[in-house]
Amino acid sequence: MSAAVGGSLALPATDVGAAEKRTMLAFLICGFSALMIGAAIGPLQALNYGGINAYPWLQPVLQTYYQGLTIHGVLNAYVFTFFLACGLLVYLPARELGLSPNMFLWRLCFGMMAVGLVMLLIAMFDNSSSVLYTFYPPLKGSAFFYLGMTLLAVGSMLPLPIVLDLRARWKAKRPGEVTPLATYMSAATMLMWVLAGVGAALELVLQLDPWALGFTQTVAPDIARTLFWWTGHPIVYFWLMPAYISWYCLLPKQIGGKLVSDSMARLTFALLLVFSLPVGSHHQYLDPGISPIWKAILTALTLSVALPSLVTAFTMGLTLEYAGRLRGGRGAVGWFTALPWRDASVAAQVLAMVTYIFGGAGGIVNGSWQLDNIIHNTIWIPGHFHLTVGTATAMTFMAVAFWMLPHLTGRRLFSPRLALASAWLWFIGMSVFALGMHWAGLLGVPRRAWVSYMPQSVYDRLYGLAHLPLTLVAVGGVILWLATACFYTVFIGSLFSGKLRAPVAIPFAQSFGGRESYAIGAETGAATLAHEHVAKLSRVLEHLGLITAGTAVITLAAYIPILWPMLSHLTQATGWIVW
Amino acid sequence: MSEPTPTQAFEDAFHTVAERHERVWMFLSLMLLSLLLAGAAFFVVDAYGVVVQTAGYQTHPADAATSGPFTATGAQQTGPHAYAVHMLGHLWAWTPSPVHVPQGAAITFYVTSSDVLHGFEVQGTTINMTAVPGTIGAVTYTFQHAGSYNIICNEFCGLEHQNMLGRIIVDPAHGA
Repeated sequence: MSAAVGGSLALPATDVGAAEKRTMLAFLICGFSALMIGAAIGPLQALNYGGINAYPWLQPVLQTYYQGLTIHGVLNAYVFTFFLACGLLVYLPARELGLSPNMFLWRLCFGMMAVGLVMLLIAMFDNSSSVLYTFYPPLKGSAFFYLGMTLLAVGSMLPLPIVLDLRARWKAKRPGEVTPLATYMSAATMLMWVLAGVGAALELVLQLDPWALGFTQTVAPDIARTLFWWTGHPIVYFWLMPAYISWYCLLPKQIGGKLVSDSMARLTFALLLVFSLPVGSHHQYLDPGISPIWKAILTALTLSVALPSLVTAFTMGLTLEYAGRLRGGRGAVGWFTALPWRDASVAAQVLAMVTYIFGGAGGIVNGSWQLDNIIHNTIWIPGHFHLTVGTATAMTFMAVAFWMLPHLTGRRLFSPRLALASAWLWFIGMSVFALGMHWAGLLGVPRRAWVSYMPQSVYDRLYGLAHLPLTLVAVGGVILWLATACFYTVFIGSLFSGKLRAPVAIPFAQSFGGRESYAIGAETGAATLAHEHVAKLSRVLEHLGLITAGTAVITLAAYIPILWPMLSHLTQATGWIVW
Repeated sequence: MSEPTPTQAFEDAFHTVAERHERVWMFLSLMLLSLLLAGAAFFVVDAYGVVVQTAGYQTHPADAATSGPFTATGAQQTGPHAYAVHMLGHLWAWTPSPVHVPQGAAITFYVTSSDVLHGFEVQGTTINMTAVPGTIGAVTYTFQHAGSYNIICNEFCGLEHQNMLGRIIVDPAHGA
């Protein structure tokens, strides 16, 4: 090969970033393997609410409903999402900028999370730590559980230095230019997540790890709960923002259109960075020990965090409409039906968005203090987050897998029709399931209770009114089982299917007035458009460091007054192992 | 430069309309959130009694079960139409239960836990608060209808969580 021709710009056509592809594939497979176990258990919990107790037949693999629920929550909500986010938030920026990420840190991230996962699996499957994924002390799991959780949490923060390094290297070469969108969003997400992770990291390292190892005898449950929710609310944005990245940066290309507003996309992420941090204690509206004044301030901040999602609803709606009209859609709904619905990746993401409208509306109810009194800790709540993380996020990640597996492996997607079926089944199953859960929640049915193990007469007396919605929960769960089976047939089949002739590019989208992508393997080069327009807002929002510093100050301002009375009335609670 | 293509012209026109609609959408979004906030603020000022208040602290949560107000066996009258109930959540029951209270009186529930977290939910009412070991919470509620109400633990507390139930019996007011 001649080095003289084209110089360093002439990249070889094959094996660009083969190491990155392998690492990304490892994140993808590990994350989806966790979801496979977690999702397989999920419908058992749905059947529980329908009054069917499957656990006696599952000995000795699963002892109790609560053990199954712990595994389901930890694997789906933490392990699956963290592996996907930590893969995508490095891989996409690296490919968008055409730079190689720091592979040592990225592999270390994978390694720490993988070791944490193994420890968690041991602690959960031996039934020593059936404390559910909120692990509120003074319920006391095994040290394996808390140490595994610590490794998983700390490992998940490592993409931050990788993304900041990529961005700094790119900006050094192109001074004064605005960071490309996927990189900007990845950096904002990781900055948010590291600030958010401080809470759980403090809870684990200062309270739970030493307690589980026997160095301390007691724990303060109110402080642990507050630190948990410091992380526990922003975590929902760590689930959501990678899905938003797919919607904003990739989906417009997949549907043959453009992103209609680059600056609003950036504003969304900047607002999410600021407002997701200080609002965690809205999960404690109904806890004593926190002043009502602070709860009112939290309500204001919590409603503010709905704004970026309302902006997203508008921007994505228009983006879909633009593409639909370009494809010949006419009239009030024609643009929607004109979208490429036969593409499983597109269908899954558009259905995820439709679901998210209801999830977001329910979230505004949860965030409104007085309404929370009715639904707090009822099964309305899992109904809500199965629409958000369980569908908006999970189905978007599935949609990403539909193009990314062929992109990474060079193999064709196994049965696109089955992939499409899995998206529709997931959407239908989750809709039925969540409708039942929201409805039953309004009738006072509590979340995470082994109700199928109660005496029948007591079950009927308490929850007889909710018989119809609880049946819907069980039916939805069975449909979701089918969806899961279809999806994993496609996922596993795609790892072994036939080779593709041409490589699959990452579908980086262009925005209105924006330039073509810089990405490696994009169809067009990095030529500047004649009418390129960079909004003033986008330039202002480039100051991610300042926005982060401001967020840190607001977060401390929110948490010091909440934690202070708890620290000055320190509770000394002993641990309980009661499952 | 060449003439703009039809696609480019469509994009420009779409963009102009979109920016106008975007301003309307932002205005409506901010109005919606402001109204919800006003509703929540009204809730704080007027309180409806069910805003959770902090009534005290206990360094050793287990002490609540052996001495102090949580050892009382029923409701105590604290005023002409006011009663106090000290409700202790513990593995896996509510004490006292069943507890009798009168219809139409302001009942203040003081709630705590002597072991792990529990959730004090009274089915069919807005009473819903966390029983936190070491912290005593309080809510005030007036039962308008006589009858039997279920207390359901709605915070996971171990193997028998689903059976951690209690009962409040609201006795008809005199002459009702």
